[in-house]
Amino acid sequence: MVFRRLLRKRWVLGVVFGLSLIYFLSSTLKQEERTIRDRTLLEVRDSDHHIQWKIKFILGNSSRQISQCRNSIQGKSLLTDELGYVCERKDLLVNGCCNVNAPSSSQHVCTSCLANGCCSIYEYCVSCCLQPDKQPLLEHFLNRAAEGFQNLFTAVEDHFELCLAKCRTSSQSVQHENTYRNPQAKYCYGESPPELLPI
Amino acid sequence: RKFKKTGLMSLLLLLAEVAFLSKYKCSCPVRFCNIFCSLSLSFLEYIVVFNGYFTAKARSDFISSALRDVDAVNWRIVRRDNPASDYPSDFEVVEIRQDTRSSLLTLQDHPYIKRVTPQRMVLRSLKLTDRNDTRWVQKWQSWQSSRPLRRTSLSLGSGFWHATGRHSSRRLLRAIPRHVAQILQADVLWQMGHTGSGVKVAVFDTGLSEKHPHFKNVKERTNWTNEKTLDDGLGHGTFVAGVIASMRECQGFAPDSELHIFRVFTNNQVSYTSWFLDAFNYAILKKIDVLNLSIGGPDFMDHPFVDKVWELTANKVIMVSAIGNDGPLYGTLNNPADQMDVIGVGGIDFEDNIARFSSRGMTTWELPGGYGRVKPDIVTYGSGVRGSGLKEGCRSLSGTSVASPVVAGAVTLLASTVLNRELVNPASMKQALIASARRLPGVNMFEQGHGKLDLLRAYQILNSYKPQASLSPSYIDLTECPYMWPYCSQPIYYGGMPAIVNVTILNGMGVTGRIVDKPIWQPYLPQNGDYVDVAVSYSPVLWPWAGYLAVSVSVAKKAASWEGIAQGHVMVTVASPAENDVSNSTMTSTVKLPVKVKIVPTPPRSKRILWDQYHNLRYPPGYFPRDNLRMKNDPLDWNGDHIHTNFRDMYQHLRSMGYFVEVLGAPITCFDASQYGTLLMVDSEEEYFPEEITKLKRDIDNGLSLIIFSDWYNTSVMRKVKFYDENTRQWWMPDTGGANVPALNDLIAVWGMAFSDGLYEGDFTMADHDMYYASGCSIARFPEDGIVIAQTLKDQGLEVLKQETAVVENVPVLGLYQTPSDGGGRIALYGDSNCIDDSHRQKDCFWLLDALLQYTSYSMTPPSLTHSKNRVVPPTGTDRPLPQRLEGNHLYRYSKVLEAHLGDPKPRPLPACPHLSWAKPQPLNETAPSNLWKHQKLLSVDMDKVVLPNVRLYRPQVRPLSPGESGAWDIPGGIMPGRYNQEVGQTIPMFAFLGAMVVLSFFVVQLTKAKSKPKRRKPRVKRPLYLQQQQQQTPHSGKNPTV
Repeated sequence: MVFRRLLRKRWVLGVVFGLSLIYFLSSTLKQEERTIRDRTLLEVRDSDHHIQWKIKFILGNSSRQISQCRNSIQGKSLLTDELGYVCERKDLLVNGCCNVNAPSSSQHVCTSCLANGCCSIYEYCVSCCLQPDKQPLLEHFLNRAAEGFQNLFTAVEDHFELCLAKCRTSSQSVQHENTYRNPQAKYCYGESPPELLPI
Repeated sequence: RKFKKTGLMSLLLLLAEVAFLSKYKCSCPVRFCNIFCSLSLSFLEYIVVFNGYFTAKARSDFISSALRDVDAVNWRIVRRDNPASDYPSDFEVVEIRQDTRSSLLTLQDHPYIKRVTPQRMVLRSLKLTDRNDTRWVQKWQSWQSSRPLRRTSLSLGSGFWHATGRHSSRRLLRAIPRHVAQILQADVLWQMGHTGSGVKVAVFDTGLSEKHPHFKNVKERTNWTNEKTLDDGLGHGTFVAGVIASMRECQGFAPDSELHIFRVFTNNQVSYTSWFLDAFNYAILKKIDVLNLSIGGPDFMDHPFVDKVWELTANKVIMVSAIGNDGPLYGTLNNPADQMDVIGVGGIDFEDNIARFSSRGMTTWELPGGYGRVKPDIVTYGSGVRGSGLKEGCRSLSGTSVASPVVAGAVTLLASTVLNRELVNPASMKQALIASARRLPGVNMFEQGHGKLDLLRAYQILNSYKPQASLSPSYIDLTECPYMWPYCSQPIYYGGMPAIVNVTILNGMGVTGRIVDKPIWQPYLPQNGDYVDVAVSYSPVLWPWAGYLAVSVSVAKKAASWEGIAQGHVMVTVASPAENDVSNSTMTSTVKLPVKVKIVPTPPRSKRILWDQYHNLRYPPGYFPRDNLRMKNDPLDWNGDHIHTNFRDMYQHLRSMGYFVEVLGAPITCFDASQYGTLLMVDSEEEYFPEEITKLKRDIDNGLSLIIFSDWYNTSVMRKVKFYDENTRQWWMPDTGGANVPALNDLIAVWGMAFSDGLYEGDFTMADHDMYYASGCSIARFPEDGIVIAQTLKDQGLEVLKQETAVVENVPVLGLYQTPSDGGGRIALYGDSNCIDDSHRQKDCFWLLDALLQYTSYSMTPPSLTHSKNRVVPPTGTDRPLPQRLEGNHLYRYSKVLEAHLGDPKPRPLPACPHLSWAKPQPLNETAPSNLWKHQKLLSVDMDKVVLPNVRLYRPQVRPLSPGESGAWDIPGGIMPGRYNQEVGQTIPMFAFLGAMVVLSFFVVQLTKAKSKPKRRKPRVKRPLYLQQQQQQTPHSGKNPTV
C-alpha cells in the first residue's frame, strides 16, 4: 500500500525518469567515445596482440629453378615475378616468369625506393621486399601489425604474397582520407608509413 | 573522399510516412507517383479464386458444377480478353444476377474454390504535375538528393522502400515481375547447369548475418569498419547479396557462387576511404572474380581510392558499381561507377523507363577542356526489385544499388558459363554486356548507356568471344536523335568549336595495351567525308583494360556554306602483349569507328553564343558552395556547370530559340570574338588572367556582347558556412562564394561596373514574370547611362549571420549597358544564376535570358524592362566598399589561373591555347552502311554458334487485380510470396520508443511546472551522426523545415 502510494508521487516518477535519461545519455555518449576510439583502429596499437601469421620464407636460394611463376599481374609496363625479377611485360615468359636474359630484367632491385622503405614504383617495392635480408624487417612488422591488418596478413601464405600485399597502398598511406601522405613514394615494404607531406 | 549519412530524423519521418501510407493503399504520395486511384464496388461481379492454376475450360467446369442449382441465365463468366487468357489462371470473374447470396455460398463450398470476393473497379487518373512545378521538384530533391559530399549507399534512402501492396493496386493487369533473375531469363542458364559455381563474388556493403536462410555458399565474412560486428544492421548488404546469390524465395542469379562479404559501411552509413583501401587489398589477395559496390560518391579526385580501383581491375577483378541516385539532374554520376574500367549500372523500372533517381549525364573529369565520357554503361531493373530481407523473407527496394547487384549477379552467372576462364576479364565482360544490351527507344546515351542488360545474348557473345578491342560508343552519328543527344541537337559548321566525342577503348586482350601508330581518318568521298576535319587524341597506354579516344570533329573551310551529311571512319589498331601465347608476340585488334555528321552553313554572328566553361570550378576537389544557400543538404556545387549537365534546360531552351551554343574550354584569349554575338558567363568561380581582361575589353569594343549571371560572395557568410567534415577530418572552408565576385569585378571594372557582397533572396515579379532570387548578389556600380532594374528583396546575409529578417528595397539586380565605342557590344549583368541552373531551380527565368540575348545580340532593348517602374538610377557604389577576396582562401590550389606565391597568390603565365592537330585524311571511295548502330559490335562473334536450349520467350506473368488482399497471390512454381511490409513492421518499435519518449517528456514538464525546483535536465542528444548536420544548419536554424 505504501509502496503504491510512493509510486504515485511525482518525484518518484521523476527520479525514475531521470535515472533512465541519465542511463540513455551516458550510453549514447559512451558509444560516441567508442566510435572515436575505434576510428583509430587501423593505427598501430601498442598491445600484446600478435597476429598469427603463417608465412614460410624461402631464403637464399633465389636462383632456384621453378617451372611456373606467379607475378604481380597488374603493372602498366613492369612486372615482378616471385623470384624477385623485375622485367617489362614484353619480356615475360609463357610460364609467368621474367626472362632472366632480357636486358630489362634484374633481380631484387630497389630502384626508386627511399631509406624508409617506401618506393615510387610498386614493382620495385615488391622486388626490393623480396630481398632475403628483408625477412627480419617483415617478421618484425608482422609481429607488431595493427589489428586492422589482421584479415590481410593472416591470409598471406608466403614471402611473395606478403610483399605483394605489403607494398600496396593501404589505410596507412593516406591523410585526410582522400590524399596520399606522400604521393611520390607511396608503396612501402617497410614498417613505417610514407613520410607525411603537407597538402 | 566524402561519404553520406542520412539524417536520422529524415529516416524516421520517411519511415513514418511509409507506415502511414501503407494503411491507405490507394493514396500514393505525390513524391512517388502522380497516379491517384479510387475504388468502387462493381455490382454483381465477383472474383472467384481457385486453389491452383487451371485452364479456362476447367475453371468454367468448376463454376458450373458449383452453380448447378442456380439458373443458368442468372450467372455468366465475364470474358477477359487479355494475353493471359491463353494461360492457366487461378481466378475467374463471374457475374451473378439473382440469388446472389446463396450462389456465393454454394460457390464458396466448392473444393477447388478458395474464396469469392466482389469485383472492385479501379479507376486510375493521372494527376499531371506540371513539369515546371519546381517547388515539388525541389521538395523531392531536398529529401532525396544525397549529400554529394559523402559516399552513399545507393539505395534510395528509406523513401523508396516500396510497400508492394500499394504498388500492386496501381499496376492493375500489367506485367508484374516476380523475380528479377527470371525476368532476365537466368533460368535458361540454370537449366543448362550454370549456377555461378566456382566464381568468387565480393559484396562490399553493410555485411550479412551469419545464418541467413537464403545463402548456401558464404565463404567468408570480414569486417573493415569500426563497428565490431559482421552482421548487417540495415538490410542493404543482405539485399544486395540476395540479388546476387539467394537460393530460395526471391532467387538471385548465381546461388552457387562463392560469396565473400566485406562489411565496409556501418549501420550509421559511415565509411572511409582507408577502410576501402584495406578491404580492396584483401579482395585482391583472395583473387576475387566479381566485386559489387553499390556505393558511390562524387569525389573522383580521391586519388587513393581511384588508384585502388584501377589496381583492383588490373588484378582481373570485374568491378560492378552503381551509377548513383542523384537523377534526374544531369552531371550527377558517382565514382567509381564513372571509371572506364568499372561497369557502371543505371536503373530502369519494369516498364523500361529510366528510373527517375538514376544518375546521368556525362562524366565531368574531362572538363573544361574536353568532353565527358558516356556513362552509365548499361541499365537494368532497379525499381521495386525484390531481394532478401534482413533476417529472412523478401522485400522490395529501389535504387541503383539494386541495379548494380542485378548486373553483378548476371556477370557472376555469365562467368561461370565460360569454359576458358582465362578469357573472362573486366574488359571482355564489359564488352559482352554492352554489345548484347538492348537499346531503349527514346532515351539518350547519357541516360541509358548501351541499353538494357540482356543476359542470354551476353551469354551467347561471351561464349564465342575472341580477345579483341572495342569502342564505347561504337560509332559516332551526330545526326541520330535522341540517342546521340546532345550531339544531335546542334549541327556542326565551319568556324565553330569542334564537337568532341570521348570514346572509351575497351581492350579485352590484356590489362595493358597501346595504340599502334596513329588512328587513321578515312573520309568516304561519295558521302562528302572530305568536308570534315578530324583530330584524335588518345591514352598513351591503355591501362587498366581501357583508355580514351577523343575524336574532335570540325568542318573544313570549303564547306563553310554547305549543308548536308558527311561520313567517314576512324580506324584504330590496338596492340597488347600476348599473355598466354608464345613469348615475344603481341596481339593486335583493329576497330573502325564510323563517323556521321550533319553540316550546316555557318550561322550569323548574332545567333552564336559562347558559353564560358573555363572559368567554372566545382567540387571536387575544393569546397565550392552551392549557389542557393537554402539547399543545405546539398552544400556543394558538383554538377560540372556545363550546358550538357546542370545547365541542360537552358541549353535546350536556347536551341529551341534558334541560337547555336558553343563551349569555350580555354582562356578568353583563345577564341575569335568576331564569330560570336554573345559571351555567356554563368556562376564563374575561377580567376582571370590579366591578358583575358584586356582581350575581353578589346572584343567588346569590337562588337562582342557579354552576359554575366553572377552569384553571392560574402566573406562573413563564407566563414559561416564552413563545416567540419568528419570524413576527411578537417574543416572545410569555401574557396569562393556561389561565384567569384571579386574576380568578376576585376573583369568588368573597366566599364565602371561591379557586383556587391550583398546576399539577397526573395520572390518578386519582373515584366509580368514570377521570379525567385535564390541567394544572389546585387549590382554595386553601374555606368550612369545604363539601365538598372531594382527589386525589393530579403537580406539573406543578415539572416544567415544573425537570424534576423530584414527587407531591403531597391536592390539593383539587373543592369543593361551599351558600350559607347562605335559598333561596341552590350553588357548585361544579373545577380543570381539559380534561375537558369537545373539544380535546385525553383522558377526559371529563360524569358529573361531571351530578353537579354535580344538586347545583346540584336540591340533590341526589351521595353518591358526599360519602361518598368522598377527602373532606378544606376548605383555609383561609392558608399560601400566592394567585396574583397576571403583572406586565406585556398583557391590557388584548384585554380588554373593562380599559383601559390609568397604573400598573395599570383597569376600563372598564360597557357598556350589548345591546338588540335588534324589527322591527315586517307580518303576511301566507299559508301557507309545506312544504319550505323546495328553493325556488329564485336568481331568474330557468331551468336548462332552458341545455341540456347529451349529458349522460351519471356512471358510476362500477368497478375490480375487481386481483390481485397495484397500479399497472398499464389505464385507459380511454389515460391512463397515474400514479406512485403517488413520494413513497416520494423518501424513499430521505433515508434513505440518515440512515443514513450514524448510521454516521458510530458511528465517531466508537468513535474517541473508543479514543483518549481529547477532540477531540470535538458536532453541534449548529441550523436556523431548529427554533428555535421547541426554545424551546417546553424547558419539557418530556425528558418528551415527540418526533415
